[in-house]
Amino acid sequence: MFGAKAAYAAEAGGDHGPQILFNLFGLPVTSEVTTTWGIILILGLASYFATRNMKRIPSGIQNVMEYAVESLIKLFAGVMGEKKAKRFLPLLGTLFLFILLSNYSGLLPGAGHTPGLKAPTSTWSVTLGLALVVIISVQIYGVKERGLDYFKHFVQPIPVMLPMNIIEQFTRPLSLSLRLFGNVYGEEMVVAGLFALVPLILPLPMMFLGLLFGFIQAFVFTLLATVYIAEATETHH
Amino acid sequence: MSIHVPDIVWAIINFLILVAVLNKFLYKPVVKMLDDRKNEIVGNLDQAAQAKVEAEKLKEEYMTHLQNAKAEAQEIISRANKIGEETKNEIIAQAKAEAQKVSAKAQEEIRLEKAKALAQLRDEVASLAVLAAEKIIAKSIDINDHEKMVKDFVKEVGEIQ
Repeated sequence: MFGAKAAYAAEAGGDHGPQILFNLFGLPVTSEVTTTWGIILILGLASYFATRNMKRIPSGIQNVMEYAVESLIKLFAGVMGEKKAKRFLPLLGTLFLFILLSNYSGLLPGAGHTPGLKAPTSTWSVTLGLALVVIISVQIYGVKERGLDYFKHFVQPIPVMLPMNIIEQFTRPLSLSLRLFGNVYGEEMVVAGLFALVPLILPLPMMFLGLLFGFIQAFVFTLLATVYIAEATETHH
Repeated sequence: MSIHVPDIVWAIINFLILVAVLNKFLYKPVVKMLDDRKNEIVGNLDQAAQAKVEAEKLKEEYMTHLQNAKAEAQEIISRANKIGEETKNEIIAQAKAEAQKVSAKAQEEIRLEKAKALAQLRDEVASLAVLAAEKIIAKSIDINDHEKMVKDFVKEVGEIQ
């Protein structure tokens, strides 16, 4: 039984390297990539149908998407003010929606051991890619907003802090990506383990927790990204 | 746990594509709709506030009008009451005078009638007495003397009465 569980875990975790489905533009396409495409398709279609024929008095899917966008704007506005919240909504809002759906895709039956279906966020490479987007955006928007003034904060509050501040720029994507990846991967492992032990009912509580954790992790990642961008683009000093 | 550069590249490309797609189909239209709706609501609220002020003003005006109309109505009623009272008193006085006149006239008539009746009665009694006496005495006395005698008697009797 233990052996079966271990095999299961290994398969789900992809410890033996990513399963390459095919190559596109010379890049190997894995299950994470195809799942990401599915998420893009679902979000894109939902958005398209929600805003195709917008009504002043919303109903149905327009209501859902409006509520989601409005809640995200409110969340970001609480950190960086409404003007910036609307400006960075495409980046931050997409982070949240993508991570949320990625985490939830791991709860689908067969996720992790079906070719073409694997939660993208359960792979460190994906979460690292997202964290890199965030951290590079932080540098770009920091310079864009404050010019060379932006680099001053590397020597604040005292110049001795310079190495620390530089290291921080590298630890941030590491902590961001590892936190998300670790949580989703760990959650998947626990569900897979419980499933291997007793496939009926026992994994259910863990899957409910998965719903909760999936939301919390998307929330935490997005909120931290928001804080980093708010910090970098703060103009009053 | 290992890093695969192609996966990182895919993640970044896919993420940027998703940003572009959602920006076009979700964020821009929804934010625009939210802003439009907000502006419309603010405009409507402003209009409502203005309408309320206007309504308040109109109400004030109507209240003043109503007050005036009420006062006027009160005045008209009291004037009508006064006129009615006066007319009533006048009519009563007139009726009283009329009644007095009628009553006086009736009394006068009664008096005259009574006098006339008395005179008539006197004449009748006299002739009756003469007739009776005549029958008793049977033509013994001259009729003229007799009549005179009876008349004197009746006169005496009338004076006593």
